[in-house]
Amino acid sequence: MVGDRDTADRYFEPQVETMPREELRARQEKQLLELVEYAYANSAFYRELWDEHGVHPRDIRSVEDFRARIPFITKDMIRAYRSRTGDAFAGLLCVPVEELTSVSSSSGTTGDPEFFAEIWQDAPPLVTAQVRDLWELGLRPGDRVLSPPGTFRNFMDAGFQALGAVVIEVDTWMGNMPEVVEALRTYRPAYLQMMYPQMVELEHLAEKTDLKEAFSSLKGASCAGQPLSRKMKERIRDDWGIDVYEYTSAADTGTAWECREHDGFHLWEDTVFAECVEVDEHGWHDVPESDLGELVATDLDNRAAPLIRYRSEDLVRLSRDTCGCGRTHARMWVAGRRGDETVVQGRSVVLRDVWQAVEDQPETVAGVFQIVRDRREVDELRLRVGYDPHLTGDVDALAGRLSEAVRERTGVKPVLDMRTEEDLLKTMTSVAKFPRVVKT
Amino acid sequence: MARADTLARARTLDRPELAYLMRFPTADGVRDLELTWAELARDTEWATARLREHGLAAGQRALLTASGFEGFWGHAVIGALRALKVPYGIAEAMGWDHRRTAVFHRELTPHAVIGLSAETLEGLAGMTDIGEMFRSTPVVLARPTAVPVLRGVGVTASVISAVGPALALECPERSGAHVNAAEWRFGERDGQLTVAAGEGRTSPLPETPLGITGRVVVSRCGCGSDNPRVLLAEAN
Repeated sequence: MVGDRDTADRYFEPQVETMPREELRARQEKQLLELVEYAYANSAFYRELWDEHGVHPRDIRSVEDFRARIPFITKDMIRAYRSRTGDAFAGLLCVPVEELTSVSSSSGTTGDPEFFAEIWQDAPPLVTAQVRDLWELGLRPGDRVLSPPGTFRNFMDAGFQALGAVVIEVDTWMGNMPEVVEALRTYRPAYLQMMYPQMVELEHLAEKTDLKEAFSSLKGASCAGQPLSRKMKERIRDDWGIDVYEYTSAADTGTAWECREHDGFHLWEDTVFAECVEVDEHGWHDVPESDLGELVATDLDNRAAPLIRYRSEDLVRLSRDTCGCGRTHARMWVAGRRGDETVVQGRSVVLRDVWQAVEDQPETVAGVFQIVRDRREVDELRLRVGYDPHLTGDVDALAGRLSEAVRERTGVKPVLDMRTEEDLLKTMTSVAKFPRVVKT
Repeated sequence: MARADTLARARTLDRPELAYLMRFPTADGVRDLELTWAELARDTEWATARLREHGLAAGQRALLTASGFEGFWGHAVIGALRALKVPYGIAEAMGWDHRRTAVFHRELTPHAVIGLSAETLEGLAGMTDIGEMFRSTPVVLARPTAVPVLRGVGVTASVISAVGPALALECPERSGAHVNAAEWRFGERDGQLTVAAGEGRTSPLPETPLGITGRVVVSRCGCGSDNPRVLLAEAN
């Protein structure tokens, strides 16, 4: 069932969600100027960095000043500060630890996890910023939702409950999809959050289970952690009948969701100041709205440990045109991660091409694969690929076909390490992420 | 503040009294039970008193490890930590997330670690000496199967566990996990625990065998509480 498109009360906070851009811009300017004062006064990290760059809050009187004077920060800079000072919060914390409510963290799939300091009342910050998105999806008081699989960025329940939804406690992590299907049939929830491995598992159930019937109570389901491939999206929407809403990270300041138009991820610009830039050795410049650039984000609603001009390494296209849904907040389309490109003997290989080749084989249609490399420039393309053992008679024959398909798409013959999907998914160390590029 | 405004708007909604529909295993299969906001508030108050007995207080930090479907007791524990003004870090209880538990433990130096699972300990054991890691943590509240592992390496761990629909929490006396007698009636039949809902619970629950091997102790605890205690076989 597709979400109820006739709902008259489409916006949760109409005045904010459809705010004219000039008003939004003025609001952001006010927030940015307050933020700069606040961070300089309270964060050791920003005070040290800005002093080094000769920047003082009194110099910042407009958005233009902010963008011209405040330096970018990167994950490496934060890690270096933490390593140098031993401060777990890397000098970003603007309040004493005792004033925090909670500390969540990033997945830590590429190193030590980064901490997110949180201060909240009714619901943690990440899920609170999703309330508008869940309302758009159709969630309403009295609806039921299945509990999400993890507590990755804190329990999400409070966000659902803020909307008046009732949480059904079901273990929705890997290995439990038959139970999930049973719960869907029993409790008829309106929403559930899905993760990539769950979909792979559901795909296996699809042959003997009427998933379309099981999912028929859903107004929508969300999916995050990595982009859905074209084939997987078609499968979920067309074969399982789910109106699936993808969402992604808003550069660690929150999340960005698709609306019912499914045309880009909305950034809530009263919570984040977003820039799309190209950075090189000579400096930086804005990229035109139709071009890809790096998402740089500034927290506008985080008094615990705000990120300010944080380079996300996400390559995105950003548009500030009003969406078909009527919302005026910017949308972005994510092309990938800076650094995910692999150069094999001088030839560029991008994830998308490998993905397509993997998905085109029936035994590996779920697209479970990883590029294994210890650096960006390598001599050979090493691929670890998960196959469905129930569909695979001859693994060597599959490897031969797959190798040729990858060579056709990328121009590079890969070195393949074939595993069962289950074995490969078991190597996950986060409910949120299946890493596509790994070192070992 | 944008999020504060969003939540202010949310508070104007006509929300149901029901917060959770929890599901728990019994001897005869999975059973569900409604959990209202009023019940959650009482459960939180009870958990607050138990954590206070462990000495948790403002100025300390805690680490909670839990899974997404454990909100019904997670809510009570988080509410208790908030009432006690103890900020908490949070990691998954699943074994593959043990690295985040290790990093939180190293960086936050928590006064209390709550909800440790045997799976997390198994992961940690591959990278560190878990005895050394947790002996210096003043309060360790672990799941039943993790408790013997911890005690075996000299960590004075207490039990925290969902027992059917109820939260059971051992006090510093460590002589069985207390359950809230005002809300639940625990009993034993053929060496297995049973539970029934107290009169104040919205959802009726007649005496139900849980399929959990254990005993119920009703004598006064050394901590002074008259709340009954459950002795879980797998924690010993």
